Amino acid sequence: MTTTTSPTALTNGVRARGLVRTYGTRRALDGIDLDLGPGVTGLLGRNGAGKTTLLRCLATDLEPTDGGLSVLGLDPERSIERTEIRRRLGYLPQNSSFYPHFTAFGLLDYMAVLKEQGGRRQRHEEIRRALRRVDLYDRRHTRIRRLSGGMRQRLGLAAALLGDPRLLLLDEPTIGLDPEQRIRFRDLVSELAVHSTVLLSTHQIEDVAALCRRVLVLDRGRVIFDGAPTDLIARARGRVWEQASRPPEGVTAWRLADGRYRVLGPEEGDAPDTVERVPLEPSLEDAYLLLTGSVTR
Amino acid sequence: MSWHLSHAQLHRYATHTADDVTAMSAEAHLTYCTHCRDRLPTDEAWLERSWADLRDIVDRPRLSPLERLLGTLGLREGTAKLLAATPTLYRAWLVATMIVLAATLALAHEIPRGTLLFSFTVPVVPLAGVALAYGPGVDPAHSLASVTPWAGPRLLLLRTCAVLVPALTLCTVAALLMPSVATVHEAVFWLLPALAMVAACLALSRWLHLSVAGAAVGGGWLLLLATFALLEGTDPFQLFSPLAQAAWATALALLATVVALRMRTA
Repeated sequence: MTTTTSPTALTNGVRARGLVRTYGTRRALDGIDLDLGPGVTGLLGRNGAGKTTLLRCLATDLEPTDGGLSVLGLDPERSIERTEIRRRLGYLPQNSSFYPHFTAFGLLDYMAVLKEQGGRRQRHEEIRRALRRVDLYDRRHTRIRRLSGGMRQRLGLAAALLGDPRLLLLDEPTIGLDPEQRIRFRDLVSELAVHSTVLLSTHQIEDVAALCRRVLVLDRGRVIFDGAPTDLIARARGRVWEQASRPPEGVTAWRLADGRYRVLGPEEGDAPDTVERVPLEPSLEDAYLLLTGSVTR
Repeated sequence: MSWHLSHAQLHRYATHTADDVTAMSAEAHLTYCTHCRDRLPTDEAWLERSWADLRDIVDRPRLSPLERLLGTLGLREGTAKLLAATPTLYRAWLVATMIVLAATLALAHEIPRGTLLFSFTVPVVPLAGVALAYGPGVDPAHSLASVTPWAGPRLLLLRTCAVLVPALTLCTVAALLMPSVATVHEAVFWLLPALAMVAACLALSRWLHLSVAGAAVGGGWLLLLATFALLEGTDPFQLFSPLAQAAWATALALLATVVALRMRTA
């Protein structure tokens, strides 16, 4: 990695300056500037926008091609500091897989050894704590091949929580969770975010709306929005409405259960005024879709 | 209940300062006297430690046979746990290795050029074991493990050692059963090429995925075999001659240095 900018350390979070990561000729990250501190930050973006690549760079799994990066005040390029980052890091990768013949407890024990977690008794206490936090304690001796998809997802989360991490990077953590588990997950992440920096990459916009005070939107490797969810929603005011007739081609809209159409469109004054429209308060999802223009009819 | 233990008797019993007869008498009394049991001072810290010990015994995952074996051999519990997750130490891999060695050994006994096939297969066995021991695609939990302090060259080298022990043992035993091999010295003709290829694979893994590096080195080995087989005046068995062994030893030393340097700088 060629460091063009040396970012000042942010001891309890992440600082990136001009972060670039390329795969061949494709720039997955194209000059990301980022400061993250304690609290939950949501990371939104279409498939291929660069979310997972960003998380993997922050997790020291991928080396950036260019730019400066400081994680928990440490330089991931230096071997000793990279190891130290990894001791304080919790990372839940997208579609994480496990050894199917391990039990839930056995996998966490393996992960705890990899994370250099103390002696056996201390390690096992930590594992029990993590299993209780994700509501899997009763399944601790079940082999992973017998766990459901949602349970495996929670097991991955438990692995990320081992060692009380200062930085928690979660890639699509709520996939496969039932509504009750998602509420529990939100509660857990909110609790963790009091002292830790949490970056939550997701397509579940309601999770971002419920959890995050800040949201980043990536598009083709660039940050196209960085601010509070309320600010993103404010941008969409006057651009969401309901109408009875199908809007013309090129306008983002979908049919509702009652047969009317929810329309995301241009500024109210610029929209074609041919039909009766009922203005609506935009949701975070509306605002995100308007920003990225990613809805298909 | 007509009598109860005095405060002094309870204190002596709780602090293990009572004589044997008094202690036994107090213990017998405490088993059926709730009043005295409630007055018995409790060491909360001791109680918590005891419960923690008990929970640990109940919750402790059962060790796999491999973990138990490694523990018996003197390895620390954590190290044994890391090694037990090595994909190429699974029973299926070991069985496959034994089948390959047995098949090539049978051919070595049955067909005229079978010895050649065996001689060129054996050095590839440890290489394949190492190449498939670590990395994405071969290690199911790699995405979780790759961002832990143990990830990278440290875990790779640990697993390499773990794979080499059974692989080299099986290969040596198989080579001893070859026709025309009588001593252990004759049976390890393949050892230096095998170790040099493993070292080359580890060195290349700085730039390539380990499995790709293994395939590249294996491909190079095949190319070398083909070259010696096709060139006039050369014989593939020259790759195991004393002169070639010296070349393999030199290559091994150089590549091991590269790997060691990588370990220091990784």
